[in-house]
Amino acid sequence: MGIPVETAVSNSAAAIAGCGALCANGSGLEPLRHALASNASALQRRQFIIGKTSQSVVAGFVPDESLRQLRAADPVHADSRAFLFAVAALNQAAKNTGEILDSIPAARRGFVLSTTKANIEALDKLVRRQSVSPVAQRQIQPAFLAADLAGQLGCRGPVQCVSLACISGLSALQQGAALIRRGQSDAVFVAGVDLISQFVLSGFNSLKSLDPEGCRPFDKARIGLSLGEGAAAIVLVKSELLSSPPILLSGWSTSNDANHLTGPSRDGLGLALAIQRALAKAQITPDKIDYINAHGTGTPYNDNMELLALRSVFGGRVPPFSSSKGIFGHTLGAAGILETVLCVLALQNNLLPGTPRLREPDPLAPESLLGEPRAATKLRCVLKINCGFGGTNAALVLQRPLP
Amino acid sequence: MNDLVIQAASYLGPEGFGNDLTGLRPWPPPFKQNLSRGELGCLHWSLLSDSDPSRFLRMDLMCRLGFMAAELLAVNFDAMPGVRRDRLGVCVESFTGSLDADIRFAQTPRPSIFAYTLPSTVIGEVCIRFRLKGPVLSLISPVTHGPGAIAEAVEWLRNNDAEMTLCLGIEAMNPSTEHSISLPKNLSPRGWHGAALLLGPPENSPREKPFATGALVDVCRKLCSAPERTC
Repeated sequence: MGIPVETAVSNSAAAIAGCGALCANGSGLEPLRHALASNASALQRRQFIIGKTSQSVVAGFVPDESLRQLRAADPVHADSRAFLFAVAALNQAAKNTGEILDSIPAARRGFVLSTTKANIEALDKLVRRQSVSPVAQRQIQPAFLAADLAGQLGCRGPVQCVSLACISGLSALQQGAALIRRGQSDAVFVAGVDLISQFVLSGFNSLKSLDPEGCRPFDKARIGLSLGEGAAAIVLVKSELLSSPPILLSGWSTSNDANHLTGPSRDGLGLALAIQRALAKAQITPDKIDYINAHGTGTPYNDNMELLALRSVFGGRVPPFSSSKGIFGHTLGAAGILETVLCVLALQNNLLPGTPRLREPDPLAPESLLGEPRAATKLRCVLKINCGFGGTNAALVLQRPLP
Repeated sequence: MNDLVIQAASYLGPEGFGNDLTGLRPWPPPFKQNLSRGELGCLHWSLLSDSDPSRFLRMDLMCRLGFMAAELLAVNFDAMPGVRRDRLGVCVESFTGSLDADIRFAQTPRPSIFAYTLPSTVIGEVCIRFRLKGPVLSLISPVTHGPGAIAEAVEWLRNNDAEMTLCLGIEAMNPSTEHSISLPKNLSPRGWHGAALLLGPPENSPREKPFATGALVDVCRKLCSAPERTC
C-alpha cells in the first residue's frame, strides 16, 4: 500500500558564509553596522502618488545615489529596480564569502529568492500604459526574477522562489538550509527583495496600516507601520567548508494561526508554536536564547500578539528583544533576510540592537525590551521571528558555537 | 519514514471536477470552459460543499480554486482525532500566482482585493477553513506547478515536521482580467485549475482505501502537471 520515497540526505548544517544588503541605510554592511551601533533611523518623508493623489509618506527608501550608480553600471536592467537591488546585495554577499565559493562547482550552487511582489512597479506602468522594457515586464513574475538572478550569479543548482507574505525571507532561509541538509547543494544564495511602489503603498494605505509619522514598534502610542524597500542576501554553505566557528542556522519552523487573513491572532499561540518548534529543532531550551529580533511592525495588533507569544514561550524571563523596523522600515519579502543580516552583525559585534523611534514602551512589554543598543558579554544564540498576512508565522535560530 | 500514501486527491479544471483519480464529472450548464468573471460561484460551490458560501464568494479566483480543491478532497479532519491540527501542513505551488488579483488591484485599488495580491493568501483561507496550524510554504515555479510542493511535503513528513501535508497546485486567471491588459507572452496564464493532494503515512489515512495505485510521481503528473490533460 505504501509508496517508497527515495531521499538523499547529507545532514550537513547550513552556516552563514557571507552577507550583503542594500536598504534605506545605503549599500553594504557598513551602514547597517553604523545603524546598529547608533540606533539611527533611515526613514524619510517623501511625496508619493497613492491612487490619484500625492501624499506624504514616511518610509525607508533606497537612496537615490545608490540607485543612480546601479543603473549606470547595468543599463539593461535600469527599469527593473528589483533586479538591480538584488544583484547589488548578492554581489556583496558573494564577495564577503570569499574564495570558498571558487571551490564549489556551479551545479552545486543553489539559489532561493524571497519576494512578495518582485518587480511590481512594471505592472503599475503596464496598467497605466507607460513604457516598460521587456526585461522589466518579465521580472514581474517572481520565478523569472529568481531564474534571472540565479543565471547572473552562475548558480546552476536548484532554484526556488518563495512568496509567503512577510515570512518569505525566513522561509527562504529555511529552504536554503534544507537544500544543504538534503545534500542537494554545497552553497545556496538566499536573497530577498521588494520595492516601495504605488501598488504596495496603495494597498497598505487602503488597509489604514501606515503610520503617517513613521513607525514606533512596541511603543505605547504606536499606530502603524512604515514600509521599506531594498534587498538582502546571505550565502549559506555546508558548515564543514568553513574553518573558523561559523554562525549556524540551527533551528527553524513555520506555522499558521488559522484565524484571519490580514490580522494577527489575538492570542499569539501560532507564533509561539513556530518558536517552540524552532527551538526543538535546534535542540535548545528557551533559556539559551540571548536575544530576539522581533517582527515588530508598529501596528497595535501585531506587536501585541508578539508580546503575548513571547510571554507564552519564555514566561517571565523574556530575553532581551527589539525591533529593527524603525531602522529601514518593513521591507516585506526582504525583511526576514535583511533582519537576519542585522542579527549576524549583532553576533559578530557582541551588540544587542535597539528599537529606533521607541519613546514610551508599551506597558505590556517586558522590561527586556531594548530601546537602545547594548553591549553583550556573550551573544551566542539569537532568535529571529516574522509574521505575515494569511496568519503565517516563522522562527529561525542562529547559533555561534563556542570556539 | 519510508512509506507515504496519497490519502486523498482532487482536481478541478475546465473539463470538470473529481476526486477519485479515475475520471472527472463534467460541470453542469451554464458553466463555460473559458471561465468568465462570476463563474465558479454559488452554483458550483453547492455541488461541492454544503458550507456557507459567503466567505467563498469574497475570494479571488486563485483562492476559490484552492479552496474548492481542498473541499473536494472530502476529508473530515474532525473525524481524525489522532492527527493534531498543528501537525497538518499546507504547501502551495503556482506559476501564475496572484497575477489576476494583482492586475485588478493595480487597475482599481480596493482593500478587499489587496488581501488577495499574495499567492500565499490561499494558504490562509484553507487553514482557516480546516483549522490547520502546521508548517506552510508557498512556491512560485517557472515551469511546473505542483510537484515542487509535493517534494517539500515529502521532506516535511520524512523529517517529522508534519504528520500530514495538504499540497495545492493552482493556476488562476480570469480571461476578462487577462484581456484588460497587454501582458507579455511569457507571463500569459497557463490555463486554470486547482489540484489537491493529502499526503501522509498509511496509518493516518482518513479513507478506508488510500490511493496507492502507482508511483507518487505518476499521480503528480496526472493531477498537477498539465492543465490541458485529460483524466
